[in-house]
Amino acid sequence: MDILHHIFFGLGIALQPMNLLFCFIGVLIGTLVGVLPGLGPVAAISLLLPATFHVSPVASIIMLSGIYYGAMYGGSTTSILVNIPGEAASVVTCFDGYQMARKGRAGPALGIAAFGSFIAGTLGVVGLAFMAPPLAAMALKFGPPEYFSLMVLGLTVLTFLAGGSMLKSLMMACFGVVVGNVGLDLITARPRFTFGWDILLDGVGLVPVVMGLFGISEVLLNVEEKLSKREIFKTEFKGLLPNLQDWKESIWPILRGSGLGFFLGILPGGGAVISSFVSYGVEKKLSKHPEEFGKGAIAGVAGPESANNSATAGAFIPLLTLGLPSNAVMAILLGALMIYNMPPGPRLIASNPNLFWGVISSMYIGNVMLLVLNLPLIGIWVKILKVPYPVLFPLILLFCLIGAYSLNNNPMEIGLMLIFGVLGYLMKKFKYDGAPLVLAMVLGPLMDNSLRQSLLMSGGSGMIFFTRPICLVILGAVTLILLLPVLPLISRIRKTVEKTEGN
Amino acid sequence: MESSSKNSDWAFTRKINGAGFPCFDNKLISEGIGLRMRNPDQSSSLFWLVIGIGIALCSLKYGFGNLHEPGPGFITFFAGAILIILSLTLFFFSFRDQKTRISLQSLWAGLETGKVLYVIFLLVAYTFLLKPVGFLIGTFFLLSLLFRVKGSYRLKTIFLMSFLVTAGSYIIFEIWLKAQLPKGVLGF
Repeated sequence: MDILHHIFFGLGIALQPMNLLFCFIGVLIGTLVGVLPGLGPVAAISLLLPATFHVSPVASIIMLSGIYYGAMYGGSTTSILVNIPGEAASVVTCFDGYQMARKGRAGPALGIAAFGSFIAGTLGVVGLAFMAPPLAAMALKFGPPEYFSLMVLGLTVLTFLAGGSMLKSLMMACFGVVVGNVGLDLITARPRFTFGWDILLDGVGLVPVVMGLFGISEVLLNVEEKLSKREIFKTEFKGLLPNLQDWKESIWPILRGSGLGFFLGILPGGGAVISSFVSYGVEKKLSKHPEEFGKGAIAGVAGPESANNSATAGAFIPLLTLGLPSNAVMAILLGALMIYNMPPGPRLIASNPNLFWGVISSMYIGNVMLLVLNLPLIGIWVKILKVPYPVLFPLILLFCLIGAYSLNNNPMEIGLMLIFGVLGYLMKKFKYDGAPLVLAMVLGPLMDNSLRQSLLMSGGSGMIFFTRPICLVILGAVTLILLLPVLPLISRIRKTVEKTEGN
Repeated sequence: MESSSKNSDWAFTRKINGAGFPCFDNKLISEGIGLRMRNPDQSSSLFWLVIGIGIALCSLKYGFGNLHEPGPGFITFFAGAILIILSLTLFFFSFRDQKTRISLQSLWAGLETGKVLYVIFLLVAYTFLLKPVGFLIGTFFLLSLLFRVKGSYRLKTIFLMSFLVTAGSYIIFEIWLKAQLPKGVLGF
């Protein structure tokens, strides 16, 4: 069994003291980020990215991944106890988790969320270990036209699945492509969109953009809100272990949620968020007592919490095998891997097996750590929830400022972050999603490169994208996705025309 | 034909019943729609339209090239052109949803917008003063001012919190992570 051999090899790397320590730091910060409303995993990872430049790439990616899946664990705590989701993927947990807490069952709700997350996280990691290598082997056959088509598909699916208007998401993707191409052109060495700013010659850094769009903007939005007191249940968390009946009602939702989450996580665009909603819908539909959903059904906590955790494992598949990030967190990890000179893609498994298998194995260890952190230490997390926002937000801002400055020891990086912070604030006000912008920004230079290579290969013929079977299938899917929102409109127009002709 | 409300601020009527095709009403256009436009989508789409035009023009300046040899502005030109088309589409579509329309001002209604502007001002000032003043002094004063934005703590508490956070972050980032934070003209 090759896979088992690889997993043991990975465990050997993940269990090295330094990697173990960074895995622990990652899941601890992740849980903290998940618990604290107003600071998501995207902002936290971008804040800590500069700090990881001093450690080994493997330890760094292990830590950053730990923050991501750790946040999914922590997010359930605030949803259940305060009815405020710590991060977007835990919104659904509020529906039944909070109701369970109101009925004095906060303990079993937190317990099943943690156990469900653990089981799903574990299954997700196993799925990742089995699926990634064959997919990477297949991706080795891809050339620039296939890569370009795949990136177009990734961006299209993301804009389709992202929250809000697809039109606005597409606009952000276009703007992101331009932001990603700021700086010296790789082929002609001509500066593009630098406007005389030397700092832009190397391109716009991912870290200031992400910190601005997701960190600073979130703080600005919270600052303008009038403060309300958070109501936390003063429950004694004695019975955290779910009883037999709870397990009976939860085990299938956990398993279904794990499968759903994993496959939806692979798709570009907020896999964890969407999978939690889909899982909730599926469980409600399959339940013998759908009327109990929204009133404290444990299956409504178990399913979505499992789904959002396994989605995090699924999200690693396109990144590690194709080099294509499926959400904003993966885009930052892609940026981090680029900085460490380990470009992700089909060759990553062969060229850096210690990174690939080390990170996968660390995720399993991290899931065990999270179970230990979340259940016995729940009292500490509840206390952290009581940190007042007037104290918390200056700390978040300070971390953003130091993080941006320490990139190049240049205050202009802070300026860049502030520009994107204000832009992000306005984008949220006007309901524009930041994720397509970040993803397109990361993919922008790769798209530019693969498009130009494809055209050079074909001697200037755009038909290269329509004569290669894989490209054709992918671009066909893109067309279908783009047409989906227009189809109801076309049908309405046709009916109107028929009606008019009839009259 | 279904017409929108006569008092519409949007100078628009829907000429095909149910199909959602927005069409300009000439009479209302003559009254000047631009002056009374308050819909967030209309304002934002115009902003992105200007950005799109700027991107497309700059890309042409950098060199579009041709299909045989694409220039540095090739892909960005297309991104700009698509942005123009999409923002125009959004602009026209924003007139369609009469029921859900909200005014631009309502985005900030009942909120403490002054505090947002104050925080942005503090951050911009910090950016410019960081090098000359140095990390320790600059951060201490920034935090002292930020802690007062949403909280009502006593001055002594604020100074104590600012001191502890500044010292803590200095130890973590400067001493532990060797981030080389600016020392300022005073040398610390």
